[in-house]
Amino acid sequence: MNLSISALDYQTSIKNGDFTVEEFISKSIEKINSVEDNLHAFLLKMNDSALEKAKEIDRKIKSNQNVGKCFGMPISVKDNICVAGYRTTCASKVLEDFIAPYTATTVDRLQSEDAIIIGKTNLDEFAMGLSTEYSAYGESKNPWNTDYVPGGSSGGSAVSVSANECVASLGSDTGGSIRNPASFCSVVGLKPTYGLVSRYGLISYANSMDQIGPLTKTVKDSAFLLNIISGIDPNDNTTRDEKNQDYLKDIDVGIEGKKIGIVSEMTSSEVLSDEVLNSTNDAIKTFESIGANCENIELPMVPYAVAAYYTITSTEAGSNLARYDNIRYGYDFDSEGFEFNSYISQARNKLGPEVKRRMILGGFVPSAGHAGKYFLKALKVKSKLVSELKPIFDKFDFLISPTVPIQPFKFGEIKDPIQFMKIDYNTVTSNLTGKPAISVPYKIVNGLPIGIQIMADSFKDHSLLQAAYALEKTVKLPEVPI
Amino acid sequence: MKNLVTEEEIAHVARLMKIEIEDHSEHVEKVQKMLQYFDILDEADVESEKLEYVGIEMDELRDDRYTPYDKKLLKFLKTYREKYIKAPKLS
Repeated sequence: MNLSISALDYQTSIKNGDFTVEEFISKSIEKINSVEDNLHAFLLKMNDSALEKAKEIDRKIKSNQNVGKCFGMPISVKDNICVAGYRTTCASKVLEDFIAPYTATTVDRLQSEDAIIIGKTNLDEFAMGLSTEYSAYGESKNPWNTDYVPGGSSGGSAVSVSANECVASLGSDTGGSIRNPASFCSVVGLKPTYGLVSRYGLISYANSMDQIGPLTKTVKDSAFLLNIISGIDPNDNTTRDEKNQDYLKDIDVGIEGKKIGIVSEMTSSEVLSDEVLNSTNDAIKTFESIGANCENIELPMVPYAVAAYYTITSTEAGSNLARYDNIRYGYDFDSEGFEFNSYISQARNKLGPEVKRRMILGGFVPSAGHAGKYFLKALKVKSKLVSELKPIFDKFDFLISPTVPIQPFKFGEIKDPIQFMKIDYNTVTSNLTGKPAISVPYKIVNGLPIGIQIMADSFKDHSLLQAAYALEKTVKLPEVPI
Repeated sequence: MKNLVTEEEIAHVARLMKIEIEDHSEHVEKVQKMLQYFDILDEADVESEKLEYVGIEMDELRDDRYTPYDKKLLKFLKTYREKYIKAPKLS
């Protein structure tokens, strides 16, 4: 039995009776137990319930009952997405005892298709970061080289898929949090169009940009999961009815004759490394060799996108995190003897340093006297970025760039906050504008992965997946050395 | 360094956000650096940009009616005593 198989191959194997769900889940648990000390992808393992569910699905298969499309495949879920009855910590000490009272729509849909949730994965506290170094429970390690960060914030999700601890994972992406770790760990990561997937049950960071999406071993698997998790949800008013579009259909249609724009600002930025630039140029040649026409395009607002992104998300985070006063949720901390305000600040001492900084920023940038300089300008950059993209998507089918301007870095290597923010340089544009974007594993250079990002116009997720599949088909990468 | 936001201003906002900044200098310095980076927004040519707001019709919103919630939320509260929730006193 091969734990590295894709979700679709898993489905076929179970249907063929090559192995039982229980066998696969037991093997996955063994794998998790053997690599977790090293990798720390999980904040919570759900071994017992997973095994029980596996036996139940095996019984259903044996007695020829209807079985959901996932056939008991093990899927991990980022620990800012709620699964009823289980701890959901957001990798924060503030929520160390928080038991989710309900299940997120995306998880609910996976479970109705007989997916088995195998555990909750590590992240940067409240999804604020891009390396898992800000997790209050310790960082996850990159399976390609454990001295290096796995990316983030959905770092645990990417590690769990890359190291074959599970078949696929759900992450969340506000500024690149699915695509960045996907690129760093050599897995596929999709941020769907804003409004395509319900966020009900996702703990909010910045609502105007938060989106849930899959991290998978193959592009087809991302399409498969998107089929299940997308669609209208009465509990999330941003969701749109896409009439049960089948994202797997015609996925192999190819890219012949399609027009691709190469985003100049993202392929010439000061933060871009030589290795990543070379791989990107190589990917451009590959796209041309399979029939696409590539051309340079300019998006003059991109150099301001990171500042706009951090301004807007900090503002929204400042307001979202105001609920952590420890009165309605939180940990054991007696209120006896405290005055209201001092109790809250005391309780909030359990927030980590990065979260505190973002809250302070979030209080500052929209405040009277400063909003005109920061917040309103950031909104204008966002709005102008949308208008810059409009004529471009009239002419081009896709935009490409490196997913991340650099390769994975060593733990603690990047300390300067500005250098850190700029790692988001290529990913935030799709969040600011709501466009779908995907990271496809493309190369391993010096033992570390590089991913290519493809972006498409809103609700063109289907053709985005077709382009990603066309690129993926040209790539042959080594096995993860773990 | 131009337009450096002062330590006092940052400490003031932290107080308003009910955040204690015990390692004062590190937070202040990093927040200052981040804000200084945001100054790049001044260079963006967006003066003429109009902010558009998307309005949502009332009938597109969820019905405004009471739906009973059956998940026993109160049992998750650590400070629930009989019929009260224990909270710090307001002075």
